[in-house]
Amino acid sequence: MSLVRSNGIGSAQSRRSNLLMALPVILILLVFSLYPFFYTLSLSVTESALARPFQEFIWLDNFRRGLEDSLFQTSIVNTLVYGFTSASLQLVLGFVLALFFYKSVKAGKYLRTLALFPFITPPVAVAMIWRLIYEPNSGLINYYLGQLGINPSQPIAWLGDPNIALLSLVIIDVWQWTPFVFLLALAALQALPHDPYEAAAVDGASAWQAFTHLTLPMAAPALIVIYIIRLIGAFKIFDQVYLLTFGGPGSSTQVASFYIYRAAFQQFDTGYASALTIILLVVLSITVAVLTSVRNRVRARYE
Amino acid sequence: MKKLSLLLVLVVILLSLPLSISAQDLPFSGRVINFLTIQPHAVASRAAAELFEAETGADVQVLVVPFPNITEKALLDVASGAGEYDVVEIWYTSLGQLASNGVLVDLTEWWDANAEAINAEDFAPTIVEPYTLWDGKRWALPYDGDTHVIWFNTALLEQYGQEIPTTWEEYATVAQAITEAGSADGIYGAAIQALPAPIIQISSFANRLGGFGGSFFDAEGNPSINTPEAVDALQNLLDTAPYALPTPASVGFDETIAAFSTGNVAIAEFWTDFGQIVGGVEGSTVGDNLAVRPILVGGDNETPRPALNAGFAVGISTLAQDPEVAQAFLEFLARPDINVTLNTIVGGLDPTRLSTFDNPVYIEHVGQDVADAARAALLGATAWGNTPEWAEQQEVLNNNLSAAIVGDLTAQEALDATQAEWERIHAGN
Repeated sequence: MSLVRSNGIGSAQSRRSNLLMALPVILILLVFSLYPFFYTLSLSVTESALARPFQEFIWLDNFRRGLEDSLFQTSIVNTLVYGFTSASLQLVLGFVLALFFYKSVKAGKYLRTLALFPFITPPVAVAMIWRLIYEPNSGLINYYLGQLGINPSQPIAWLGDPNIALLSLVIIDVWQWTPFVFLLALAALQALPHDPYEAAAVDGASAWQAFTHLTLPMAAPALIVIYIIRLIGAFKIFDQVYLLTFGGPGSSTQVASFYIYRAAFQQFDTGYASALTIILLVVLSITVAVLTSVRNRVRARYE
Repeated sequence: MKKLSLLLVLVVILLSLPLSISAQDLPFSGRVINFLTIQPHAVASRAAAELFEAETGADVQVLVVPFPNITEKALLDVASGAGEYDVVEIWYTSLGQLASNGVLVDLTEWWDANAEAINAEDFAPTIVEPYTLWDGKRWALPYDGDTHVIWFNTALLEQYGQEIPTTWEEYATVAQAITEAGSADGIYGAAIQALPAPIIQISSFANRLGGFGGSFFDAEGNPSINTPEAVDALQNLLDTAPYALPTPASVGFDETIAAFSTGNVAIAEFWTDFGQIVGGVEGSTVGDNLAVRPILVGGDNETPRPALNAGFAVGISTLAQDPEVAQAFLEFLARPDINVTLNTIVGGLDPTRLSTFDNPVYIEHVGQDVADAARAALLGATAWGNTPEWAEQQEVLNNNLSAAIVGDLTAQEALDATQAEWERIHAGN
């Protein structure tokens, strides 16, 4: 009895001390995550300007306006196209690179260092570099296309042609973040157990069979997590749009985060911008939830 | 040794005595104000601060922010209660936005009481109202009188057998002729800036809007953006775009400066300091082959009416820590002699005072042709909106211009859509 009492008191004390230790983190989360979220939520149901928030409660008018706003719809579509294309290309390229180099310890070591450079380069510098590369008349890409005998009647306007401007931004993101995916994929591959491969070799499995039946299934859960991380990163694209295209030509690179920025800081309509933020949050949450569910199914299947 | 040290200290104290006495004599010694300015004006604003300090003893801290963020900074400063700024620079199109949100001090009484010192008659008449007046009250004093003029590379015009155009229609013809003959060598007739940032894209449209005799609003302040003149203006822009530096939708200030300075573009619309900017670019080939003219006319219109693209005023924040010094600084910035001084620095300012255009120091600095073009531009200028609704109206126009530039809408459709939205906004719906 005394032992039970003692344990009971002990666990209560333990819970209190655990709570005390977690308290700073909980407070930080409340201040930096929940407070802004609920503030945004409150703004979204009011008529609010940047300097004069909460002027009038207007229920869901801002949401209705957002759902009817064709430019916002375009920006959501552009965001999804950009995010999925960019993250998919990065995953494929990063994984292929990791497969290629994970057995080469020396090359892998140097590549890991080199791979750091693109994604630690500041976004403004990246934009400046790519603006020069994409420049229609003197840019590197058009120059080398010319050297290869590809000379269209008009120089290719990588950022000025509405049909390819979004793709041009995807290329920049792929250049910057594929090395990051490579590093994570490399770590995932190096963490795979060796025993199944030895067993497969004894059974006479080919390299392709080992890849499709062992490597891919075992690495899949980690790859999906990497994909989700990059997808979320790509969905948040803002800097390259702001620095290179300003959402144009037309609305071809108008992405959701930039559109929301314009509503909040060009039109100062923070109520509307908050509603758009909530709508975007819902769209992205659904997308990520679907992917997480896929990942769980894959993991359950192969574990 | 001790005696020598003591003697040295005494000498230093004695030498610094007259300085400290004179500093204490200045009216605002030891007082500090913060001046929020935009990055393109950093040099001029810092120079103004130093001159004011020398004259009054006040310490003016110049806080520089990128141009697109200035309104947001001023709004948030007051909304958050931070009160970091005493004097704020204002893009005149956001005057109503700032005033209606309680960011600016109402200067009407001060303006009336100091009419002689302010000497408003000496300001270019076209800028006084849009820069200073909203809701019948005065909120600011003019600081930077920005209008575009047109710059020509005369060597390129000559090389391709073209004359300096006098109308927008001739401009289109010249651009087409040069581009058709020179694009294979990377030479283009014009740089049309239609990167969809409002200050860039709307400026290109506004130059033609005024040129064709249109305006954003009618005399009663109602939207008038789809008049035949406005449609012709946009059509001229769309007709010229295929013969401009590829491609207008991705061309902004940097691309224009780069292409013009390397001799790849014959015509560019820009502010009056463009000549100094392109001349200062490393590897610039323009040299003396520069000509400048006021913005052109088009259609049936024969009166040049350039657009007030950009343009800045200065006002006092309602949370100013030292309103007295802030007010004195405002008055100082608007003084005719200071207007001349600040406009003879490569600091991004254009004159606001008529007397500056006649000042020999200014004329010598920029050249008689630039002074004439800038004066002509400022005297007939067409203003953008300056009401609280303008921010939203500007976004609508910008989006529709973008759609027209890439061919998703015709000129008529783009401006009809804009007019409809502007009327809704104007009606407060």
